[in-house]
Order: sequence, then structure tokens, then C-alpha cells
Amino acid sequence: MPLETSRRSFLKLLPIAAVFASIGGAAFRFLRPRISAATDSWLDVASVAELTGPQPISRKIVAEQITGWAITTEQHNVFVLPAKNNEVVSAICPHEGCEVAWEQNTNRFSCPCHESYFAADGSRISGPASRGLDALPARVQDGKLQVQYVSKEQATRA
Amino acid sequence: MTIGNGIRPWLQTTTGIVAVLLLVQFLTGILLAFYYVPSVDHAYTTVSYVEKVVSSGSWLRSLHHYGSQWLTVFVFLHLIRLFLTGTYVVNRTQWIVAILLLGLVMAAGGTGYSLPWDARAVFSTRVAEGLMAGLPFAGRNARLWLLGGSEISTLTLSRFFALHVLVIPALLAAVVIWRLFRSRIAELFGPRDAIVGGVVFLALALWALKYPAPLGPSVTDATADYLPRPGAQFLWLYQSLKYIPGGLGSLVGVVLPGLVLAVLVTLPWLKRQRLIAGSLLGLGVVLVVIMTTASYLGDRRDPQTSKQLSRQAAEEEAWRREPFKPAAITLAATSTSVAASAGGAPVLYTKFCVNCHGPRGEGAQQGPLKFPPLLDVSAKPHRSVDDIVGLLKDPTAYGLEPPMRSFSNKLTEEQMREIAEWIVKLKR
Repeated sequence: MPLETSRRSFLKLLPIAAVFASIGGAAFRFLRPRISAATDSWLDVASVAELTGPQPISRKIVAEQITGWAITTEQHNVFVLPAKNNEVVSAICPHEGCEVAWEQNTNRFSCPCHESYFAADGSRISGPASRGLDALPARVQDGKLQVQYVSKEQATRA
Repeated sequence: MTIGNGIRPWLQTTTGIVAVLLLVQFLTGILLAFYYVPSVDHAYTTVSYVEKVVSSGSWLRSLHHYGSQWLTVFVFLHLIRLFLTGTYVVNRTQWIVAILLLGLVMAAGGTGYSLPWDARAVFSTRVAEGLMAGLPFAGRNARLWLLGGSEISTLTLSRFFALHVLVIPALLAAVVIWRLFRSRIAELFGPRDAIVGGVVFLALALWALKYPAPLGPSVTDATADYLPRPGAQFLWLYQSLKYIPGGLGSLVGVVLPGLVLAVLVTLPWLKRQRLIAGSLLGLGVVLVVIMTTASYLGDRRDPQTSKQLSRQAAEEEAWRREPFKPAAITLAATSTSVAASAGGAPVLYTKFCVNCHGPRGEGAQQGPLKFPPLLDVSAKPHRSVDDIVGLLKDPTAYGLEPPMRSFSNKLTEEQMREIAEWIVKLKR
């Protein structure tokens, strides 16, 4: 290609390249993901008095998170394990994030997605999950069991 | 023409400018769609979020906003250039493409104006509604189809969004691709086009850095004296509508421009081309220039209007410095919601107070601003139910400073009492 022609075609591409470079550079910052702000508030799970028996007890907690342009109030399933000193575990399967269910007849938690199984104390029995169910920070205040919600991002980072 | 040979080729670079500006609109539009939500309860919040929180958001939105106005101007100049150089005789494709572009770019600007759903957008949507309703014969149906129902609602916003980001860009892309296939790229985009296109982009980029795109007050915050003004490319229409009695507005605003564009598109097949195109374009230029100037001067000369407009500009500037207020989204069964666990927040608390004081009165922090928690507030002096009602009416009397504001025009005494009685029960 003659020098003159190649210089010309380079010149022609320059403004288009400038548009892509400047808007593309801004786009990188513009699209940067935002980590949800953690909430450290304590959420009521149940009164301690009603937590008895060997079986895990299913409860819902409602947690708030700042998610981008909204404060999202979302419901999450947790299990209280009265047999394990009222430890509270998240129902989120540590494998790919589906929600596990308690199977009373087989006495274990099962994940509906990829067949991971967990014992009544939350420990892993079998399946693709690499660890047991995640325990949430818990405390007892005025006879009420309370937990802090831990997001998946925080749980996987920990 | 008497223009010297040195300048003349530079004046023929409008193709390059239009191409660069179209590219800018597509790129920035795609990016804005990553955050925007076309729903009346979230559109304004998401646009504010882009303006205030997202990195480079204000610049990208400003590029898109002013880019649309510049694009309209340059497509129009491009059209006039094609007429003056007689291109419409030699190259029909180029001529027809330019006219289709003008129509589509105006349509994109018109639908885009509604999307932020600020007070300005709502007024612009009302005008579009009126223009459709006033159409002869088809008016009633045109209005219903545009709005998606009998009233301006969240359906209307969805329609404008679909038109703005799907239908019109697809048509624009089709027109541009048709043009590309009908010509060699080299002929379309010469080195001069490249230089001038680059310079115009640089100018737009700097302009957008200096001037953020306007965003009016939210629909709920707009006061009765708010004066809406359309974008620069629609000032001619806005001003013309002042002189035209009622139903005839649609003729001037929709039918006439539509007819003009239709005649211009068919121009290559008509006789007396130069006369028709010359008089239509000439008339268009005269109308646009006179009306735009009249609108600009009108706003400047009337002291009351200019005062109100500068007050609005100052308010917008102040709003820009306020921290972003997130929306509240609830994805939980109501029986177990946070509100219920705290004894059920009154609906109006959720509407007016929750953004700053939190769903359970726990307070919030937004940027440098700290909003106080309301928990245990009744233990403090001067915070009985009666005091809180009084405080909601006149916060300054209780020593509170903005952003806490009076709610006496938003809430009745009874509603304030309901909120106050709930607040005093909040405990840590």
C-alpha cells in the first residue's frame, strides 16, 4: 500500500477511534459493579422459647441491602438448629446458590439443583458442594434469637 | 457559488459529522440503558443515580442529551448542503437517507425527552399527547396508541422507551446500512470528513464536561410555577404552538412537518425539484430560525419568566449537590416484612420519610450527609407526639435544618399524628 493511502486511511479512522476510546474508557468506569453495602443490623429470627426439638426449624429473615439505586428489603430462608445450640445456617447451598430444603424422612438437607446433601447439623454429606451450610452470626437478646444477614458475596469472600 | 475552493470541500463534510454524532448517540444510549428503568416509580431515581453516583454517568448522559440536539442541527445542515450542491439530482440515495435521518432523529429526540420522567418530561409527554389527539380523523386512536391507554401512565413510559431504544434505533441502523451499501466507504467518509467529525466530537465532549444535561424536579416535587422548556431542537415547535389556536397545533406540529418530509423524500421523482425543495427548505429554515429566536428572546425579555427560569436553574444546581436518595424495593411477603416486625410503619412514613430515616427509623448515611435515627427519639426532650406533629409542620421551629423540610402541604394533621405515634414507639 502506498504510504500516502495508508496515512489517509489512518487519519480517517482517528476520530472514530477517539469516540470509541473516550466513551469506552468512561464505559469501563460507568459499568463497574457495585458491591452491596453490608447491613450490620440484628434481625429477629424467633423467640428462644419456641426453638426446641432435634429437627432444624425453617425461619424467614427480612434483610435490607443498599443495591445500586435502591434499598432492597428481601426475604431469606434460614434454618435454626436447636440441636446445635441454636446455630442459624443460611439455606443458600454453598455450591451454586440454590436453596436447600429439609427432608424429614431422610433426616438431611437436600439441594434441589445438583443433589448436594447436608446433615442435620449443616455439615456436608455428599454432592458437589465443597463445604457445609454457612452459619450466620447469631446472638440472643431479650429472649430472642437474632442473626445478621451475610450476602453471598461476603460468604464466598470469607 | 462564490465560496473559494479552499473552504468549499470543508463545508461538504457534514456526512462525517453526522456519522460521528450518530455513533456517539448509539454508544452512550447503550450505556445509559444499563441503569435506566422505564417505570414511573423508578425512572427518575435511576436517572438521578446515573447523574450523581455512577462514575462518568453525568458526562455520558450529557453527551447523549446534547449530542441529540447537535445531531438534529447537523442532519438539517447536511440536508441543506445536499440541496445547495444539487446532490439530490445526482445521488438519490444520499438525499432520501438524509431526510429519513432527520425524521428519525427528531422522533428519537421527542421520545427521549419523556424518559427521565422529571417534571419537564411529563410536560413534554403531555404535549406529545395533545399533538396526537389533535390529529384530524385519527386523533382519538393516535392518542390511545401513543399512551398505551386512556391516560398518561407507566404504560406510556414503556412505549416511549420501546420506541426510543428499539424501534427508532433499528430504523436508523437500517437507513445507515442502506446508505453504506449504496456507496463506497471511501466516498462516504473522506479525510476531511474525518477531521471535521473529530473536531465536532471533541467540541461536544468538552461541552458535555462543562454542562451536565438538565434534569428537572421530580413530578412530586414540581411546584405549580414550574416552567418547562423543551430541548433546543424543539424550541421552534414550542414557540409556534403559542401562536396557533387549539386543535390546529397538530397540523403545524405533526401533519405539516410530516408532509414536508414526505414531499422531500419523493423529490427525485417530482418535476420542478429545485423550486419545491428550495421553497420548502427555505421556509423551514426561516420558520425554525425565527421561532427559536423568538422563544429565546421571549424568555429573556419577560422579567418574571427569566426570574423563574434562573430560579429553576439554581434549584437544579442545588439538587445536583444533594445526596442521591435511593428508592425502596420490597421483595418479601408483607406478613414478615420489616415494617410488620416493627409494628407496621404507616404507609405515608414509607412514602415520605423512609428514604432518609430508613424503614425502621434507623437513620441513614448518604455521602457526607448523615440522617438521624428516630429510634428512642421519644426519650429526647421536645419529642412527644404533639412535638413531632409540630416538627413535621415546621422543622425550623424545632431547630432542624434542611434537608428536613416541612410536610404541611403533603400530609394532613391526622396523617402526621399517625406517623408521630408510630415513631415514638421505635426502640433500639
